[in-house]
Amino acid sequence: MGDLTQQLVQQIQHAYATKTPLKIEAGNTKTYLGRETSGEVVDMASHSGVISYSATELVIRARAGTKISLLNNLLAEQHQRLPFEPPSFAGAATIGGTVAANQTGASRPWFGGVKDSLLGLGLINGYGEAMQFGGQVMKNVAGFDVTRLQCGAMGSLGLITEVSIKVLPEFKAGHTLSFEMTAEAALEAMLRWANLSLPITGMSHMQGILYVRLQGGESGVASASQFLGGATLTPKVAEQFWQSIREGSALQPQHDQTLWRWSGSSDRPLHTLPNTALINWAGAERWALTQSSNCPADDLIQYQGGDRLAEVYGATSAPQQALQQRIKHAFDPHGILNAGRLYSWM
Amino acid sequence: MNTLSNAPAEHALQGGANVAALISELKNILPASGVILSTESQRPFECDGLAVYQQLPLVTVIPENVSQVQAILRLCHLHRVPLVPRGAGTGLCAGAMPHAEGVLLVVTKLNQILHINHDTCTATVQPGVRNLALTEAVAPFGLYYAPDPSSQIACTIGGNVAENSGGVHCLKYGLTVNNLLQVTMVTIDGQLMTLGGEGLDEPGMDLLSLMVGSEGLLGVVVEAKVKLLPRAPRVQVLLAAYDNVTAAGDAVAALIGQGIIPAGLEMMDHLAISAAEDFVKVGYPTDAQALLICELDGTDAEVEEQLALVSECFKQHGAYHIRIAKDATEAAALWQGRKAAFPAVGRISPDYYCMDGTIPRSQVGHVLTRISELSQFYGLRVANVFHAGDGNLHPLILFDASIDGELEQAELLGGDILTLCVDVGGTITGEHGVGLEKMPQMPYQFADAELAQFRRLKAAFDSEELLNPGKAIPTLKYCQEYRSLQHG
Repeated sequence: MGDLTQQLVQQIQHAYATKTPLKIEAGNTKTYLGRETSGEVVDMASHSGVISYSATELVIRARAGTKISLLNNLLAEQHQRLPFEPPSFAGAATIGGTVAANQTGASRPWFGGVKDSLLGLGLINGYGEAMQFGGQVMKNVAGFDVTRLQCGAMGSLGLITEVSIKVLPEFKAGHTLSFEMTAEAALEAMLRWANLSLPITGMSHMQGILYVRLQGGESGVASASQFLGGATLTPKVAEQFWQSIREGSALQPQHDQTLWRWSGSSDRPLHTLPNTALINWAGAERWALTQSSNCPADDLIQYQGGDRLAEVYGATSAPQQALQQRIKHAFDPHGILNAGRLYSWM
Repeated sequence: MNTLSNAPAEHALQGGANVAALISELKNILPASGVILSTESQRPFECDGLAVYQQLPLVTVIPENVSQVQAILRLCHLHRVPLVPRGAGTGLCAGAMPHAEGVLLVVTKLNQILHINHDTCTATVQPGVRNLALTEAVAPFGLYYAPDPSSQIACTIGGNVAENSGGVHCLKYGLTVNNLLQVTMVTIDGQLMTLGGEGLDEPGMDLLSLMVGSEGLLGVVVEAKVKLLPRAPRVQVLLAAYDNVTAAGDAVAALIGQGIIPAGLEMMDHLAISAAEDFVKVGYPTDAQALLICELDGTDAEVEEQLALVSECFKQHGAYHIRIAKDATEAAALWQGRKAAFPAVGRISPDYYCMDGTIPRSQVGHVLTRISELSQFYGLRVANVFHAGDGNLHPLILFDASIDGELEQAELLGGDILTLCVDVGGTITGEHGVGLEKMPQMPYQFADAELAQFRRLKAAFDSEELLNPGKAIPTLKYCQEYRSLQHG
């Protein structure tokens, strides 16, 4: 645990000079994501630790190798939480990897994704220059938003060394309701309820049951719960369910199976996305399991399993591809950082 | 700040283009009314909301559809002519100030709301749609668009995207970047490109967020898909008066620390309170040194619960007067003073200069004290109005431009306030943007490597630097000159 920025700068400067491909690793919990890549390992696991945390500022700043579980525990002591509910993968996931992979939990439609809580970061580019972008304040529009650009970039634009995150207070009360209904009926209910001003923080449908999570103040949750009806889950069962959604264990591909993810407009008709096994984010995120590696519909991404040398994130238009290659070049002229992890052409 | 007349028509531009040929081609793209050439007709476009920076463009164009925008950009690219995009011109950083040898592209005629989907709570709009017009259009569905800058009656969604605009409710509901799903932009070579998607996220690097707040340097937004929010069934406004600003600042920190995030939490200091009360007469306690205006929203049950907690917290931290709005009319009145604060200050001073730094909340007391010292040093009054909940300060520097040297003094004072914000861990701009105005402070906030990274990123979109040149991101030469001045 400590600040290894100088060592990391040296490693990247050396790799830049020798054009050595680098592969960024920390908790090793996201190897199943993106495309297979190889290179000299940049080990971020020891570059960890909370740099600053002020509960009244609602801001925590930590080195990239800091574990999500550590952050969760530290925040819980002050009755606060990470707004985007990331997976902790049995305690091994780190904040740097979470930002790079843009992993967000069930509360996404109501509390935003990683980018909505990310205030700033430290980044070492492909030249080996350590830089700071964004800040630790809630609003900052000076310069281009290099900070949020990193969300989902899978380390291809730079090595994230530290991040500043906006945190939120813990909910005072929580309650999960369940409704036995078909996927069609559930989707219809999700769209209707998402339109109301209710303290909903999760709506998912799986195996014939719609789960609705309410979180907020005591009386707000109680009155919303009464309004919606349904059966009440015990806190333990509710936590198990939401944990399985957050950690991805609700739907794990077995053997030769492939797990597909779709993110789009929540009113997309169900029948247009075959094999849907889980509806999340009030309809805006859907998951499908298939036995083969063949994509069941055009706009799904190959999330887990299958051929990891394929273009797992799908096709990109020629002008966008050219633009992204120029952006990559602007950060990493020799293409040494996680080459090919996002796309074969980057 | 100099006002140049139009370049002569036969003049060849820096990029080599012949002006007459350029204008003739623009007239082929647009109807006659869409190409504005005369000095008189271009006057309204020579500045944005920061009127001390003025410049007439070579030509102003007002396209009516997306293909015209594409054709204009292709033409500028071909002839290497600078292009400055403009919405309603309400910006406060001279980001839309025209270029003397360039085309000013005004998007206000692209003003259609293309689609409202009340099932998914989204709307697709053209860039010239006014912010408030969108909220009004979706009101029948019980929805609204959350970012609400003070200029919302006039400002456009295109401009909001370019500046990442906030407003009084962004404490709880976020800035433009948090309320946007997709944009379609025209690149400098005239291609259409869609960033973001129909859903909440897209695989890969977040180009949509990069585009937000890029101040017209990366592309011209011609369509935006935004998120809408359901109107809360109940909104409650309350006001708390304090006899010192530090106590009010502490109350804000304590409230947030207790886990309460109001929909809006604003603060005004004594000078701002007096000016606002004189102007709108809503019953603000004019003896107060600081006023907090707090808005809570949610279901009845949620609001009742929070109201008790907030009142208690404000009292505990020394509020000597608390007023809870009885109804919507009184709530609107309590907001009116805050919303009219800028024009109210305009009534007590011939000119004012609005700053936009953001600081950690814990630094509010220290920064206000330091601003007061700076105010005395420069001999200029400063009224403070700010989004206390997120530490976004809007010090208003009062000056008289007709007095020789006073504008320069105001700018120096403003510059000192911005560097003060950086010194305490904040930023030179929370929501107004850098534009031309805050270029001198960019090298103070960013190191050379970071600025060089910004420039390489700019080049990835616009290698010839034709889009809004000279704004937002200083060149290396500019920074060297700035630093030698600072150290010289």
